Amino acid sequence: MTIGQPDSTVGVQDHPASAEPVRPATVAHGKSPLRIAMDRLRKDNVAVICAVIILFFILVAVFAPLLSKIEGQDFGTFHPDLVDEYGYPTIGLTPDHWFSVEPKTGRDNFARWVYGARPSLIVAFSATVFGTIVGVVMGLLAGFLGGWVDRVISWIIDFVLSLPYLLFAIALVPIVESMRGGSFNLTPEEQASTRFFVLIFVLSFFGWAGLARIIRGEVLSLREREFVLAAKAIGVPTRQVLFKELLPNLVAPIVISASLSLPAYVTLEAGLSFLGVGLVEPIPSWGQTIANATNWFKADPIYLWLPVVGITALVLALALLGDSIRDAFDPKTRR
Amino acid sequence: MSKTVRNADAASAGSSSATPLLQVRDLKMHFPIKEAAGLGRTRKVVQAVDGVSFDLQRGGSLGLVGESGCGKSTTGRMITRLLTPTAGQILFKGTDIAQLKERELRPFRRELQIVFQDPYSSLNPRQTVSNIISTPLRVHNLVKKGKELERVQELLERVGLNPEHHNRYPNEFSGGQRQRIGIARALAVEPEVIIADEPVSALDVSIQAQVMNLLEDLRRDLGIAFVFIAHDLGVVRHFCDQVAVMYLGKIVEQGPREQIYSAPQHPYTQALLSAAPDLGTIRGVPPKERIRLVGDVPSPIDPPSGCRFRTRCWKAEDICATQEPPLMTQAQSGPGHTAACHFAEPKIDLTAATA
Repeated sequence: MTIGQPDSTVGVQDHPASAEPVRPATVAHGKSPLRIAMDRLRKDNVAVICAVIILFFILVAVFAPLLSKIEGQDFGTFHPDLVDEYGYPTIGLTPDHWFSVEPKTGRDNFARWVYGARPSLIVAFSATVFGTIVGVVMGLLAGFLGGWVDRVISWIIDFVLSLPYLLFAIALVPIVESMRGGSFNLTPEEQASTRFFVLIFVLSFFGWAGLARIIRGEVLSLREREFVLAAKAIGVPTRQVLFKELLPNLVAPIVISASLSLPAYVTLEAGLSFLGVGLVEPIPSWGQTIANATNWFKADPIYLWLPVVGITALVLALALLGDSIRDAFDPKTRR
Repeated sequence: MSKTVRNADAASAGSSSATPLLQVRDLKMHFPIKEAAGLGRTRKVVQAVDGVSFDLQRGGSLGLVGESGCGKSTTGRMITRLLTPTAGQILFKGTDIAQLKERELRPFRRELQIVFQDPYSSLNPRQTVSNIISTPLRVHNLVKKGKELERVQELLERVGLNPEHHNRYPNEFSGGQRQRIGIARALAVEPEVIIADEPVSALDVSIQAQVMNLLEDLRRDLGIAFVFIAHDLGVVRHFCDQVAVMYLGKIVEQGPREQIYSAPQHPYTQALLSAAPDLGTIRGVPPKERIRLVGDVPSPIDPPSGCRFRTRCWKAEDICATQEPPLMTQAQSGPGHTAACHFAEPKIDLTAATA
């Protein structure tokens, strides 16, 4: 034991004012973990290509009226003159109808395709946004507050996850329709908009629980970290601890979960529309088109190919981008 | 830099006469646990801290030492009210803060701050240094809007960091620098007491000295009182005027530094001191007798009856199992030196004489 007494000069010897080595003054800004992830993402070719494809579909959906106007068609007009007596379209790809017309009704394929991108994206994005917000808030509360709040929320999460999703989706449509006065009394537009909101509700209702569980787990581990204790010792109010201290640390799981659920919702929307419980007639959607087109595939393949290519490209791009985002946020990734 | 300094005059003037700044009285923390027992569950309690009392003077420093799991950190966290004590009093300037609600506790949060052990988890990785240090300023409305950065830079300078680095993230700093940031955050509210929860044990030895010197400077210049939690006896000897030795949730010996180190009375303190490595042996001085304790620390769920140390004590007799020795002044102890042992007697030559 050779440590001196503090009243001797040993303890208070002159030490340099700064413990840091002198560094060039040019390094001004630090990089946040989010910036580092973004930089990685920008260098990832797959991610960039996928982002371009997704941007393309978003632009198609946004400018759908413009695009169909350029073509000179609109998605609802019937052209009985362009189909023969058996319902087959008599024209191929023409300057008037870039991707031919629908069998039977003769509506323009291209216009229906560009408008069909809209519900897919709107449903997927809004379900993701709602699901994420609810999931994050529930997960934060359950994880941070603990006790009976945690027990109640965890029970609800388990309950939601145990419900059969498809059955619920199929059952909910007639229930909501009858609550609005029965499907016979509704105009097609009303029916379609009901379906639209039911779809968003169903998707986000079944989407939040998984995320909430992930967030709860993360918060449980973050809660014991000392910086949260330090914030408490300073007297930071709980709400600020949750949203200013904890939430920024949850960006990675939230972004990953959102980017992976987007493509899932696009497929689910198309799947439900294909099964007939999704969107209905006045609103054009890819899922419905696929359902109709399967009957005409041999004679009129382009009718099926259009929406299939649309959905496949969009889902693939979203899923690969989600993967890249997850890699970018994970410091352990080796490339 | 002078603005950072709350003058130490008041502190040194009041240290001898007035009531202590912080008084801890019979503090207890019992954590309930559930255990599966056959088909049902039994409720048990972990008696992490069981009746700890001490005083801290203005500008003074108290060292809490003891092995892992003896309740040092729990005590520190109760004083800063990160935990609510099961029983007991924490009197800060005469007000009992032990059971206060969060809202009433607000003003006291400014006075009692804590510096944590692990500099890698005590800073939020998603916030810049400037954000981390200005959080306490904003929460307590200490600085006018727009002046925050100035104050942050002042604090960074005070703890020996480059004020230009205020917009960096914690991951860009080394362990010692991070610990300095943690200290700057605690200083931001101008506290009167800082609980230092093993502030240097996660750092490398050369950095330990730098951080200890910084704490020493702060104590001297700002008159901040420290409760210094550590398991390194050398560091405590260097820094603290008062030392309290804890074992299994209780203080077994307490007193002024010189007495604890030169004439320890409790067998546990003696064993701790004799376990410290002695550099003299390298130079050829014959190694001193080393007291070897056998066995493990008993479980705090079911502590031994009577004296808690008796299961590992070489002096233990029947009375130790039946009667708990109170923490009191012993026959041969100097002023202010107390020990909880039926067979307390000073043992002189445990630490190197050169120290």
